[in-house]
Amino acid sequence: MTGGGGVREPDEEFGGLFRAAGVIGFLHAVDVDTGAEVAYGADEPVVLASVFKIALLVEFFRQADRGALDPAERVTVMADRHTPGPTGVSAMADDVTVSLRDLAYLMIAVSDNTAADTLIGRVGLAAVNTMLDGFGLVRTRVEHDCATLFTSVVEDSGQEDMPTDPAVVSRLRVLDPARTNRGTPRETARLLAMIWRDEAASPESCAWMRRLLGLQVWPHRLASGFPYDDVAVSGKTGTLPTLRNEAGVVEYPDGGCYAVAVFTRSYGTAQNQPRADAVIGTAARAAVERLRSRPA
Amino acid sequence: MDLVKHLRYFTVVAEELHFGNAAVRLGMAQPPLSQGIRRLEEELGVRLFDRSSRQVRLTEAGRAVLAEAGEILARVDRLRALAGREEGEVLRVGVPPDLGSAVIAALIAGFEEACRETAAPEAAHHPATGRAKAGAERAGGGVRLVPAEMWSADQAAALTAGALDVGVLRHPIAAPGLVFGPTLVQHPGVVLAESDPLARLSSVHLADLAGRRLVLFPGEPGLHEETLAECRRHGFVPQEVHHAQTLGLVMAGTAVAFGPRVELPGLCWRTLVGAPLAWRISAAWRGEAGPAAEAFGAVAVRVLKENAGMTEDGAAPVRRVRSRPASGFLA
Repeated sequence: MTGGGGVREPDEEFGGLFRAAGVIGFLHAVDVDTGAEVAYGADEPVVLASVFKIALLVEFFRQADRGALDPAERVTVMADRHTPGPTGVSAMADDVTVSLRDLAYLMIAVSDNTAADTLIGRVGLAAVNTMLDGFGLVRTRVEHDCATLFTSVVEDSGQEDMPTDPAVVSRLRVLDPARTNRGTPRETARLLAMIWRDEAASPESCAWMRRLLGLQVWPHRLASGFPYDDVAVSGKTGTLPTLRNEAGVVEYPDGGCYAVAVFTRSYGTAQNQPRADAVIGTAARAAVERLRSRPA
Repeated sequence: MDLVKHLRYFTVVAEELHFGNAAVRLGMAQPPLSQGIRRLEEELGVRLFDRSSRQVRLTEAGRAVLAEAGEILARVDRLRALAGREEGEVLRVGVPPDLGSAVIAALIAGFEEACRETAAPEAAHHPATGRAKAGAERAGGGVRLVPAEMWSADQAAALTAGALDVGVLRHPIAAPGLVFGPTLVQHPGVVLAESDPLARLSSVHLADLAGRRLVLFPGEPGLHEETLAECRRHGFVPQEVHHAQTLGLVMAGTAVAFGPRVELPGLCWRTLVGAPLAWRISAAWRGEAGPAAEAFGAVAVRVLKENAGMTEDGAAPVRRVRSRPASGFLA
C-alpha cells in the first residue's frame, strides 16, 4: 500500500473484496477503446461454465455471416430432447418450434441449455475452437455441450440435483479447468471487446450480439456493481456448484466502455450466496474505477 | 502435604508416563495432578520427571523415589486393609466437559439412585430405571462412580487403553473395539453476543453467520469436521475457527458458538432455522460391558433425555435444496 491513504495495490484491493465474500476470484478488465487493463489472476485457467455460450454465439453469427446457416431458420426441439436446466426451453414441457437466432436469444438472455445444445448441433464445437484459434484465444477451449456436462455431474455425484455436499463437490470434473470448458479472464474479456469493436464478426452480427448480451435478465452479479439508469451492463453469467462467473461490457454515459470478466469459486457449497454474486459487481466496479481514474 | 496421596499420584504418572492417562486412572483432572507432582518435587527438592521433550520421562532421582514410593504405598495399603478401610469397586466414566455441572451431577445422582434401589428391592419398579437397576444389582451395588471430564477423542483413547470403563462421547468417532449404547441426538442452536445484530432475529440461519468467527470444542475432531461441512453446505465458512472450552470469545463479540440454550449475561441464544446441526452422543465401552457399565449407560440415556433435552436418534433429517433458476445448473 502506498503511504498517506493513497491508492491500494490491485492485489490487496481485489484479494480483500473476494476474501470478504467467501470466494477466490480472478478478474480482467479492459478499456475497449484504449486497451488499458486491470488484472487480478487474469491468466489463471478458469472454468467457463455458461460463459462458454459467448464463444458459441460468436461462431453462430460468423457462420450466419458466411451463409453457412440461416439465423431465421425455424427448428423444432422435441420435448424428450431437452437438456436439463432451470430456464428457457430446458424448463418447458412441450416441443418448441423457434428460429435459430431466437434460440441464441434464449441462450444468452436466460442461459437456456437446450437452446445452446441445439445451436452446438448446428455450429459444431470444432468450429468454435477453430474460430478461437483464429483470434489467438488459444487458452479458451469449448469441448463439451451442456448435456455432456450434466451427465458428468450426475456420474460424479450420483444425483441429478446440483450437489452441495463438500465431499461430492470436490470430485466434480466440471469444476476442474483441465477437464471442462475453460478459458482465462483475459481471453474472455478480449473476446467481448472484439464484439464491441465489431471485430468478432460482421458489424451487423456484432450489433446483434451486443443486443442479445444486453437482454440478459440477471441483475445480481455484474450489473449489481453499476446501479445507474444511464449505465448499460451487458453480459453472460456462468454457474456451477461453487462457481459464479460473469463476463460482460459496461458502457458509461460519457462513452467509456469496459469489458470485464470475473470468475469466482466459493468456499461454501450453498447454492444461494448473495454476497458471492454481488462481489462480481463490486470487484468489476472497482476495476472500472481504476481504468477511469487513469490519466488519459 | 498429604505425602501418601502425592506419592500415589507420582507412581501412577510414573507408570503411565502420560499426565492425561494418569489423571483418568486417578479419576481427577490433569491440572491438579500436574500441580500435585510439582508440589511433591518441591517437597523432595528434586525433579522427578523430565518434561522438556514431548514425552514424559523419569529422571534419575525419579527412578530412585519410585522404588521407595512403591514400598511405602504397599505398606499403607496393607495398613488400610488391616484397618478394614478398603474401598469398594470403582467405575471410571468419562463425560464431555460441555455437558455442564447440572447434567454431570444428575448422572452421579442417577447412578447412585439406581444402586440404592437395587439395595431396596421392594421399591416401586420404575420402567426407565429398570435396566439400570438390573445392572446395578448384578454389579452388587456399592459401586463408586469416578467421573472425569474429557473430550471424545481422549475418551476413546482412554477406553481403548483400559484407563476408562465407560464413556459418554460424541459421534462421529471411530476406535477399534468400541461398543456404543443407544444414540441420542441434540440440535444445537447458536450462541451470540447480545450486541450482535443477529440477536434481533427470532431464529438464525447458518448462512446468516457468514463472515463470523466460530468457536468449537477442542478434542472433538469428528464433530468438528461434520459441523464445518454442514456449515459450508449452508454457506457459512467461518473466517477463523477457534478451539475453546468457554464462551469468552463469544461474550467479547469476536465469535459465535453452537450449543444448547445458555442463559448468561451478555450472551444470547437462538435456534438455527431448519435444525441443520445434529449432535449425536452415546455411552461407549470397550468390548463386553460389565454390569456397572451397563447400568451407567442406561442412567446416562435417561439423564441426557431428561436433563439435557436430547432425544432418541430419529431418521436423519432430509436435507432439501430449494433450487432457484439464477443458481441452477449452468445458469
